[in-house]
Amino acid sequence: MTDSFDAADFIAGFIVEAEEHLGAGAKGLLEIADAAERGKAAPRQVRELYRSLHTLKGLAAMVDVEPIVGLAHALESTLRDADAAGGRLSVEGADLVAEGLRAIETRVGDLQQGRPVQAAPRELLGRLAVVDVDDDEAAGKAATLEEDEVLSRLDAAEREMLEQGLDAGKSALRLDFSPSDERYNEGTTITAIRGRVESVGELVKVVPRSVPRSSSAPSALTFSLLFLARGSLEELREKLGAAPGELRVLDKRKQEEAPPEVDEAALMVPEVAEAPAFGRGVVRVDVARLDEALERLSDLVLARFRLEAEIEALAQRGADVRRLKEFSSEHRRQVRALRAAIMRARTVKVAEMLERLPLLVRGLAKERRKKVVLALEPGREELDKAVAERLFPAVVHLVRNAIDHGLESPEERRAHNKPEEGTLSIRCSTGARGFLEFLIEDDGRGIDKARVAEQAGTPAPKDDDELLRLLRRPGLSTRTTVDRTSGRGLGVDIVLRVVEDLGGEVTLATTEGQGTTFALKVPLSISIIEGLVVSAARERYVIPSAIIDEIVEVEPARLAHPPGAERSGISLYERRGVTMPFVRLRRLVDAPIDEISREKAVVVRRHNELFAFGVDRVLAQQEVVVRRLEDPLIRVAGIVGAADLGDGRPALVIDPIALVGKTTSVEEKRP
Amino acid sequence: MRNVLVVDDSRVMREMIVAALRGLEGLKFTHAASGLEAIERLSLHPFELMVLDLNMPDINGIEVLEFVRSQDQLRSLPVLVLTSRSDEASRERAIQAGASRYMSKPFEPQSLIASAAELVGGETSNGG
Repeated sequence: MTDSFDAADFIAGFIVEAEEHLGAGAKGLLEIADAAERGKAAPRQVRELYRSLHTLKGLAAMVDVEPIVGLAHALESTLRDADAAGGRLSVEGADLVAEGLRAIETRVGDLQQGRPVQAAPRELLGRLAVVDVDDDEAAGKAATLEEDEVLSRLDAAEREMLEQGLDAGKSALRLDFSPSDERYNEGTTITAIRGRVESVGELVKVVPRSVPRSSSAPSALTFSLLFLARGSLEELREKLGAAPGELRVLDKRKQEEAPPEVDEAALMVPEVAEAPAFGRGVVRVDVARLDEALERLSDLVLARFRLEAEIEALAQRGADVRRLKEFSSEHRRQVRALRAAIMRARTVKVAEMLERLPLLVRGLAKERRKKVVLALEPGREELDKAVAERLFPAVVHLVRNAIDHGLESPEERRAHNKPEEGTLSIRCSTGARGFLEFLIEDDGRGIDKARVAEQAGTPAPKDDDELLRLLRRPGLSTRTTVDRTSGRGLGVDIVLRVVEDLGGEVTLATTEGQGTTFALKVPLSISIIEGLVVSAARERYVIPSAIIDEIVEVEPARLAHPPGAERSGISLYERRGVTMPFVRLRRLVDAPIDEISREKAVVVRRHNELFAFGVDRVLAQQEVVVRRLEDPLIRVAGIVGAADLGDGRPALVIDPIALVGKTTSVEEKRP
Repeated sequence: MRNVLVVDDSRVMREMIVAALRGLEGLKFTHAASGLEAIERLSLHPFELMVLDLNMPDINGIEVLEFVRSQDQLRSLPVLVLTSRSDEASRERAIQAGASRYMSKPFEPQSLIASAAELVGGETSNGG
């Protein structure tokens, strides 16, 4: 029966989980890198990342994506060593791990796009295998704590975590919680209690203990949660929402003693440190909506397994199951389509989309020897995952530009009486209805208009709009030399294209010596269709797959030209005894007719009526983002909208049947 | 109906395990996404089998096993450890902590069924 267990059915779920692990991993790694730079350990983050990678490895092995298994395994080994060393990783080690995570991300992207997954880069695997953990400093003992049976169960990394927390002036506390049926049914589960503890402090360890059965512990079980937090016992008790259980302080020291640590070396402003407000916990709630749908879907998949098994069994008993098999494979396709729809229905938080930026900014700033403070204000908006996927690279592009070209070196900034640290701020807010606005702002040198004009060979632009139009010229998108004043020319046209393809717009404001702001206005959602890309008279068109019945090679013998066909362009085509109108697409778009060999026809069905459209070539079947032509002045019957096929050249998305209506009515009006 | 507790922090992995074990009849599945959840469920409801991952948040599978084997009412619960750790040391450690069976991921649905059938015993005939 388990022959029908198909790991491929779990790919969608795998992608969802992999992305969660990668998102959380990037954030954790940033903290690890921060700690490494200050010569400190990051025990919790190292352990979480280690666990994430282990989970990813196991999942990737189940769904048989070998490159991800290899990468996750190499990273896991590195992090296991770091964990054993009390959560320490060298700065170089953290950089390598970052590289490894990006490599996994790329491959998850491959899976998502349905592309073959690239092999794991051998050279990177090799370097990961020899990463040094930074274990010079042995993990200290939490000597300042009372003897406690929970404490005796801590390992090196957990002790390090505890010690760090105490050094930072936090208190070590223990909450005892006993589960019961009643509490369970009220939703007061260990998972909920754990969540509450994590909202007030940092969880170090949970230990389950057997206790004598009593009215307060009907299950004879108590969980002891050891955690670090600030504040008085009363405050914490209140913040824990009067969690049922006993709370006590474990350390002997006075709580107000040590002031919080000052972090001098940090490149980031506190906004980044506060990012956990949008962290995993919150995201999980959102993803749960999708999860629910995916869960229903997996039930459906399971039902299909059983159905297939039954059909197989019937076949073995000699029954004729051809029709059943047809239905079953149709059902399979429907399940696939449903899964795709669910994946698309997923919205993501802007905060989630941008959570990998701090790590990127940090890396770039280091590489370019610039001091950058990142002010990230992602807001609480959500947007379509499809929009996020397309938009994020554009944001990354602008961030790179800002650090590469916009922000000056510390020396240059000092010379201009500016603070050494440049500020890069990224904010997101709701704009007009159905739109989000992203502001990417730096306080760098601004764009030198005269210089851009000189390069473009035009008079100086009179305002920023004109400057933006100049910048989008492809000629300006390559930086010729190391040119400090070329400003933001690099690849702005790409950003513009991405945003415009989404149906959004870009505006620019720049002041020389003071900085540059790009504002990207993007729609919250877009429409994506599966379409067949065809060519006719050297132009490409997209026909929505949903209306296509079949693609056939045109046999001239099956083509009939009734009287008037020459003028109307409508011939007749016979397929399996059914005759249908046949129109060449090139005729519909008023293109000249050349000779074509092996002409194809796309058979389209509407209300049970069939039409055949002759095309020169069938190029591909793919998902395209449709920009609908909403402007009534340019709306044409039969033209659904425009789509970018990934190479920057737009193609028209057409409804060929409506196009026929247009030409025939025009024809009829002719005398 | 026999109650099976499937413990793994990955939802997809739990789904795959359940999908494979549907090949056995008369099983009812409960999910637990962490070692803590597993212990909580075990303390509140009787189960006939636990499929347990080793690498989990808060409390790893070994700790869950150690706790389970220290409890009178859970001492004889069949526990099938299903983990991505394939090294001999991990296997030994799990067996020592009280695992009834030890299997590595990626798993073959048929072998998972076979092991589970053996552990729950009795009337399941199509276990392979």
